[in-house]
Amino acid sequence: MAKVVIDPITRIEGHLRITCIVENGRVTDAWNTCTLFRGFEIFMKNRDPFGIWHFAQRICGVCPTPHAINSVQAVEHAMGIEKIDDNARLIRNMMEAAQIGYDHILWFYILNAFDYVNVPNALNAKPTTPSLKNVQDQVRAVVNSGQLGPFANMYWDHPGYKLPPDLDLELTAHYLQAIDAQQAANDAATYLGGKYPMIMNMVPSGVTQLPTIEEITFYRSQMDQVRTFINDVMVPDLLTIAPFYIDLANTGKGVGNYLTWGVLDEKSQDPYDRLFPRGGIFDRKLKVEKVDPNKARMYTKYSYYPDRIGEGKHPLSVGQEPMDFTGLDPLDNPGPVKGKYDWTQAARYGDENRPMEVGPLAQMLVAYLSGRTEAKNLVDSTLAAIGAPGRVDLLMSNLGRIAARVLKAKINADNATRWADELLANIKGGKTNVFIQKPIPDSGTGVSGWDAPRGALSHYIRIKNKLVGTYAAVPPSNWNLSPRDDKGVRGPVEEALIGMPVVDPAKPLEILRVVHTFDP
Amino acid sequence: MRDDEELAFFPRITRREFLKYCGVLGAIIGLGETAAPDIASAIEKLAKRPAVVWSLFQECLGCSVNLLQSRTPSVANLILRQISLDYHETVMAAAGDQAEKSFRDTVDRGDFYYIVEGAIATKVPGAMTVHGETSMDIARQTYKKAKATIAIGSCASDGNIQAAAPNPTGAKGLAAFLREDAGIANPVVVNSPRCPGNAEDTLAILSYILINNKVPELDAIGRPVFLYGQLIHDNCERRGHFDAGEFVEVFGDEASQNRFCLFKVGCKGPVTNAPCPTRKWNGHLGWCVRNGPCIGCAEPKFWDKLTPFYQPVANVTPPGLGGATPTQIGEAIGIATAVGLGAHFIGQVATGRLGKGGPPEQEESSKGSKGGSS
Repeated sequence: MAKVVIDPITRIEGHLRITCIVENGRVTDAWNTCTLFRGFEIFMKNRDPFGIWHFAQRICGVCPTPHAINSVQAVEHAMGIEKIDDNARLIRNMMEAAQIGYDHILWFYILNAFDYVNVPNALNAKPTTPSLKNVQDQVRAVVNSGQLGPFANMYWDHPGYKLPPDLDLELTAHYLQAIDAQQAANDAATYLGGKYPMIMNMVPSGVTQLPTIEEITFYRSQMDQVRTFINDVMVPDLLTIAPFYIDLANTGKGVGNYLTWGVLDEKSQDPYDRLFPRGGIFDRKLKVEKVDPNKARMYTKYSYYPDRIGEGKHPLSVGQEPMDFTGLDPLDNPGPVKGKYDWTQAARYGDENRPMEVGPLAQMLVAYLSGRTEAKNLVDSTLAAIGAPGRVDLLMSNLGRIAARVLKAKINADNATRWADELLANIKGGKTNVFIQKPIPDSGTGVSGWDAPRGALSHYIRIKNKLVGTYAAVPPSNWNLSPRDDKGVRGPVEEALIGMPVVDPAKPLEILRVVHTFDP
Repeated sequence: MRDDEELAFFPRITRREFLKYCGVLGAIIGLGETAAPDIASAIEKLAKRPAVVWSLFQECLGCSVNLLQSRTPSVANLILRQISLDYHETVMAAAGDQAEKSFRDTVDRGDFYYIVEGAIATKVPGAMTVHGETSMDIARQTYKKAKATIAIGSCASDGNIQAAAPNPTGAKGLAAFLREDAGIANPVVVNSPRCPGNAEDTLAILSYILINNKVPELDAIGRPVFLYGQLIHDNCERRGHFDAGEFVEVFGDEASQNRFCLFKVGCKGPVTNAPCPTRKWNGHLGWCVRNGPCIGCAEPKFWDKLTPFYQPVANVTPPGLGGATPTQIGEAIGIATAVGLGAHFIGQVATGRLGKGGPPEQEESSKGSKGGSS
């Protein structure tokens, strides 16, 4: 038996430790530990609800925009606003589409690629074009300098790297191109939102101002570039490397429950009508059910809070005080992790307390099973392309998580310019309103569910005396990276690790891969 | 050498592009654009790429995400040719013990520059750990070994959002932690606040240190004067509307379509020192006040002192100020506002810019014990 502790897990947002027990070459038990706590729900109290979204988007600097949107939506719900102005809907969609575009490109290349692309092996390639030769020369210059920088000390000699040198070189070149592509998406967000990350143009009940025609056309041209990159580089890269790593379709099945609150509103502003619609899938059944953010339940038996804080309460009924940091499992402890081990609270769904996997796989499965044409065509053609037509169940795997993220990025990018065109049409038709003037109520309760790129995200607010009485956010990490719940049931990442083959516990590349498929 | 020839040391960019970058750099660090050839030769003469260790503590990764938006220099040039980014948890390939090895290899050798993103958790040290070590231990030990240290973003500069009242984890900026908790009397930390940190401005600070072998002149709270010496209000693209008494009253109104001044809907530009209107963000493309009111993120404790965000800066009665010079108005607002903000702010705001004299922290650097002598 070997115990593997990876701390820090790198190439993620946040601070994460993964602990695994490996027996006979496979993971038999696993624990995920978020090693950061800041206390948002504590210092968001007694603030002005109208500006609370500025606090909320600082929860995540990789995905501030969906935090901003959820926060203003939760306040709107408490204000009694059922629909925002159509222009505001479109501007929020444009901000979110830019966010998704950048985020999934960032993940596929900058955060994930080194698990599959062996950069030093690119030196063995025979470049076929001047630009590939140029990239190879750059890699060689770095290697020859003896200063490997970010490439140092990786398990480059691991037998799990399967790509031929020419593909390692090409993917390395695309890594560099991806930097420009994610910038194009964020430039689009910057032109409408001021800067990226941390946008400026949201407010409860609308947005700050109507973009000019020039701003909208700039956005459009940037997102066109993003679409070109995703269609011409990222999707082909997925289809090129997937056959080399097809065994990942047989691992990482996880908990088999999938949840999405939906994202990107259509005209109706109905969450079940979104481009990526709301829905849940339970026990791997290929059937979508309605879901409600008010059915999230929080547990803290294994989190660094007193047990009584959780016990299956609604997010607005749990807190973050007092904290109960009982210490980290010592790095040299050979046995299983005992007692409390995570700053993250465990989120479970509904009366049956199900652990739920969230993220692009959940979003794509729900879109597919809800009969969305784009999702259906893309998933079907991708499964056919990798030689497994009709095998939707294969998506419930490590490879499925990767593929779903790329395909979702494509659908998002294909639609981003549509929001811009609808906005232009509204303006041409004389509709220029973007804001509903309404006061913050003395009291009220609001909830919002709108997915972040990495999965289901919901915000909850209780307004008291015109101020924030209680605020709660349940980000994707509360679902995917949940620790065990009070009954000892593992979270989705923990569960997905079980059974994963590990060739060499001293070089746990396979564990990194599984964790990264969740975009933690 | 021809200007369109690719450089040996920076193969993918031409000398013309490189000189242009150096010209931008020279202009912002106060040497003037004509210094470009000198800066170019200084950078090209570096035999080894300077090693950089980048710590992530209590943060949201926003500063690093902004780093990935840098155009001057480009991210690829920065990482492959200009520095050796030996430790950055988001960018590096290695994880776990192997990442720790990368950290140790460089930090133990000592020949590196230290960039900190995120606050230090001092009341609940276990609220922030990497490889089982607290942010307090990592920050203290690494700072001591570094040639120079930059705090990127408001978290590392003054604690930022997690330090907002009631600051549940005892979050502090790096300099305050070193001074108050680590027993270092005069720490030299160059603060580059804003939320997120502006990566291109922070890289300009790093370039300044690499070229001059010393930290730049700092204001009273550790910010480089060359970047933080002016009020946002003084350079704002909407300033003309302020002077003309033209204000957005309600978001989305006709005035907002005319891009009138955002003062009445809460803009904190009149009390915030930062180069946002001139240097801008994301490849110098945009900035906050084009799209919404400034929230004052370059100023210490802005979550507590400059909120509510959508209420006008206190005790100021615009307009009717048309005809006065921008500086006079800035001073009028600054002084009036300072009354509402407490004594701490008065010195900074009343003058419209922060003190020119170096703080005590800087003296140590001039003795050469810190601050990048190679």
